[in-house]
Amino acid sequence: MAETLVGAENIGKTYGTAVKTVALHEVSFTLDAGEFASVIGQSGSGKSTLLNLVGLLDTPTTGRIVLGGHDTTAATRKQRSALRNDFIGFVFQFHYLLPEFTVLENVLMPGRIGGVAQAELVGRAEENLALLGLEGLEKKNANDLSGGQKQRVAIARALMNRPALVLADEPTGNLDTVNTKMVYELFRTINEELGTAFVVVTHDRSVAQQADRILEISDGALLQDVRNAYAAPRAREADLPAPA
Amino acid sequence: MLSLSIAARFLRKSPIQSILIAAGIAVGIGVQVFLGSLITSLQTSLVDQTIGNSPQLVVQSQQDGQPVTYTSQVEQAMKSQSQVTTVVPTRAYSGIYRSGTQNAPLQLTGGSLGQLDTIYDISGRLVAGKATLGSSDILVGKDFANTFGVKPGDQVSIVLPSGKPAALTATGVFDFGSAAANSATAFVNGDQAATVLGYSSDQYSAIDAQVQDVFSSKQVADALRSDSALNGLKVTEWQSQNADLLSALQSQSSSSYMIQFFVLVAVALGIASTLAISAVQKTRQIGILKAMGMKDRQSGRIFLWQALILGVSGAAVGVLGGLALIALFTYLGRNSTSLFPITPQVGFVVLSFVVGVLVAVLSSLIPSRRTSKLDPIEVIQGG
Repeated sequence: MAETLVGAENIGKTYGTAVKTVALHEVSFTLDAGEFASVIGQSGSGKSTLLNLVGLLDTPTTGRIVLGGHDTTAATRKQRSALRNDFIGFVFQFHYLLPEFTVLENVLMPGRIGGVAQAELVGRAEENLALLGLEGLEKKNANDLSGGQKQRVAIARALMNRPALVLADEPTGNLDTVNTKMVYELFRTINEELGTAFVVVTHDRSVAQQADRILEISDGALLQDVRNAYAAPRAREADLPAPA
Repeated sequence: MLSLSIAARFLRKSPIQSILIAAGIAVGIGVQVFLGSLITSLQTSLVDQTIGNSPQLVVQSQQDGQPVTYTSQVEQAMKSQSQVTTVVPTRAYSGIYRSGTQNAPLQLTGGSLGQLDTIYDISGRLVAGKATLGSSDILVGKDFANTFGVKPGDQVSIVLPSGKPAALTATGVFDFGSAAANSATAFVNGDQAATVLGYSSDQYSAIDAQVQDVFSSKQVADALRSDSALNGLKVTEWQSQNADLLSALQSQSSSSYMIQFFVLVAVALGIASTLAISAVQKTRQIGILKAMGMKDRQSGRIFLWQALILGVSGAAVGVLGGLALIALFTYLGRNSTSLFPITPQVGFVVLSFVVGVLVAVLSSLIPSRRTSKLDPIEVIQGG
């Protein structure tokens, strides 16, 4: 039985005080370590909200999130920051690289935020860059790369602290077909080689089909949570219903 | 020190903005150093010109015209005050210079030249003749000499307080830098003055003294008044005799402080607004750093470090600029008699530097607070 990495219990999110907008209705699910899941839904369905809540970037209005055994309900901003740094790597639609820093420095950043000296991190950062086919670009400025390269640097950065979970929000939204395919292949490779769990938000059903598990969100509610039989042979054994 | 390294990188990647902020601080501190030193030196020069070569403390008899007996106890009491640098007993009388139909009042001070020099620096201010004060010698001021055509070696006829005439020989002409002093002051031999006044060898008109810090004269005078050795004697000091000058100096200091204060306020507002703009410009970077786990305090420190770097570099350049301005002012005025030398005070320069750094750091508090409060979700949702 795989270890539970994320436990979301009845999490909901309502924005506004005078005029309330419910972005997410009581959603519950668990994610095991090493699992590769996708979250699919229309624009505005609440999938990014769900990802932000799981990534401790936002706080749920209702319910609770347990991350790596830590109940985050009463966690302070400082504790949430530490949990993000320890457990989670983020890949966003926009690469969000720091233009003031080189490729290598960008990749090193999560480690340095975690308080590890740069010298101790360089080896791992170079490994990450090699894994993503970015050798030789270490000293380049982040702004001097192509869109695909930037997104791969963002992935290398997300993996810096060897997180148990990578949360990716439309990670290929700004990429062409070739780079999109490359990014998903990389995700699968990292998932298999490093055992990193992935939750990938996408509105593209064909992309979602590459995950072992698909969570479909509609109007802020979890419509279905299914094991993706089509992702075989990589699909993991999971006690989930077959796709409808 | 991740915050420091990020702060330094942010500054390096926006060189024009960084240089402009540092230049703002530099100008402010430069003005502060120059203006502060200028006013201080001007005041020192004014004080020096006014009372530098005159007694700052005078001990006299309670009754006008009566002599003071200069005993060893009195001498000891005065010299025991640590601020007192010079004690000179003098004998002074009024006389009238007479030459043909021309008359002019003269205040004649008698004493030994060596002692008189310690207060009046007559030898150092001599413009003609020799600095000697023999029994029938007289040293006169430049304006007096010019008005009456008196040259060294000439006979100077004085009508004494008794109405009797006395013939003295002008041995030298001094310049005290003041027409009033140069016209009406003259120096004679102490014994000659004693004879004129009918004083014995230990009797004097006054005991003059100078103090190290001229503004300590009140305290020294108070201490002397309470000394039993000076019982029955009157102690006066320059500050109570020059209230107008002190008030002018105080007003000058106040205006200087006001100017310096508003310059610093302008500098602080400039830094605060530029750093606030910088904080807005870097919102995305700060947001993503926070998403990656950077803590609020760590992110807030980025702008504190920026302010510190800008403050230290700006204030250092400002101090150097201020000192360069002082050097330029001194160079331009090297041959001018109307300009006075500006002497930068080390303490004041260091204080200006520290104030510059503090103003920069304080100005960064608002952007730092804003940065530390930033929620990463604001950036992530904003795209």
